[in-house]
Amino acid sequence: MIIQKLNNKTKKKSWINMVDITDTLDCTGDVCPYPDVKSKRKVKKMKPGEVLEILIDYPLSAERIPETMKSMGHEVLSVDKTGDSSWKILIQIK
Amino acid sequence: MDFWYALVAGLIIGAIFGFILQRGRFCMNSAFRDILLLKEYKLAKAVTISLAVLMVGFAIFAFGGIIDLNPRPFKPLAAIVGGLIFGIGMVLAAGCASGTTYRVGEGMLGSFVAAIGLTGGALMTAAGPLFEAKNTLQDIDLGQITLFGEFDTTLTPVWMIIVGIVGLVLMFYFWGWPAIKKKREANEPMIKMENFKEATFKKGWPWWVTGIAIGIILTAGYIASNGVVGITGGWMDISQWFTTSNIMVWAGFIIFGIILGSFLSAYIGGEFKFRVPKDGFTLVKQFIGGLLMGFGAVTASGCNVTNILGGVPQLSLHSIIVGAFIVIGCWLAAYLLFMWREDREPKEKKLKAE
Repeated sequence: MIIQKLNNKTKKKSWINMVDITDTLDCTGDVCPYPDVKSKRKVKKMKPGEVLEILIDYPLSAERIPETMKSMGHEVLSVDKTGDSSWKILIQIK
Repeated sequence: MDFWYALVAGLIIGAIFGFILQRGRFCMNSAFRDILLLKEYKLAKAVTISLAVLMVGFAIFAFGGIIDLNPRPFKPLAAIVGGLIFGIGMVLAAGCASGTTYRVGEGMLGSFVAAIGLTGGALMTAAGPLFEAKNTLQDIDLGQITLFGEFDTTLTPVWMIIVGIVGLVLMFYFWGWPAIKKKREANEPMIKMENFKEATFKKGWPWWVTGIAIGIILTAGYIASNGVVGITGGWMDISQWFTTSNIMVWAGFIIFGIILGSFLSAYIGGEFKFRVPKDGFTLVKQFIGGLLMGFGAVTASGCNVTNILGGVPQLSLHSIIVGAFIVIGCWLAAYLLFMWREDREPKEKKLKAE
């Protein structure tokens, strides 16, 4: 079980490293709706194929942004919890 | 009410309330604002379902003679002005009265500043420079009117139970049933028991769980104190406890309970972190938002919890009007703050291109 978990972790990490991050949006310290609105605006300005990294420390938005992005037609590459109330979300623009 | 009873019952009910608020990310500011801003309806659905549960809950215990219903008297001017200002304030403060309180327990400095603003605004209005303004607004008093005429101790609970049950059935038919059907078609199990612990303590709750849980805990709160649970009064109570020799009462312990419960919930879920907004001006905005909320709450005889989650289930016309104007104020402020500029941007670009 533990080995499997570790495997999953390393897999994810190596996979993330393969992706070139085009831009980073730092939303730490922001509460809703700022992370949601900012990421929506940012994504609209980016070109297809580019990857946006979103750093966030607000739980509601961390759960909601991936859903919003999916409904906008973009691909959510990963949602990683990086620490206490900290998340890193990777979005590929379609 | 006995001090020890207030302490124990207030802390326990407050803590469970805080736990639910944090797990469900239950904030009416997000609920109302995001209908307009993000076309996101989950929290709004949670509010509606909690209202239906509260209607049925209050009515049952009113029939049993355990609680006395007491809808707010209808003060139209106070309801409109107070609700509108409260709604604008909560967008600036980035959280309604309950949302702000539970985020204090999550470690958000901005929300703490907003809570201080809320207390200050409320005190100024209850007995301070804004006292006269509030009295003038509250001058017109039309008595305890409900949606179905004058308040009546036997007839009103009957209406409450009818509206509540019809509401629950409609919600199940339109929101619940399609979701269950979808799960059946996908052959997913209805409840995943093996993830129960993680789903309860580590993840955000589904909207319907949050809504039902809020309905149950606030019914328990009404039973324990024979009155609606309030937030603004609680903060005022705490400030009096700090500054005068008054001992703390029920409402203040509820606030401490909420902060404690939300802290525990956030800590267990790995979501507690001391957070400060990057932009210092955000704190100023949140403080001003808090002040506006405080004025609105005292003028409208209650914040969003007292009026929407306490008064609307009793079908009080006053609370329904307050609730409607909280939503209008919230949309107005959200539009001006977040959408107006965005609407204009493309036009400006076009002009430049020309």
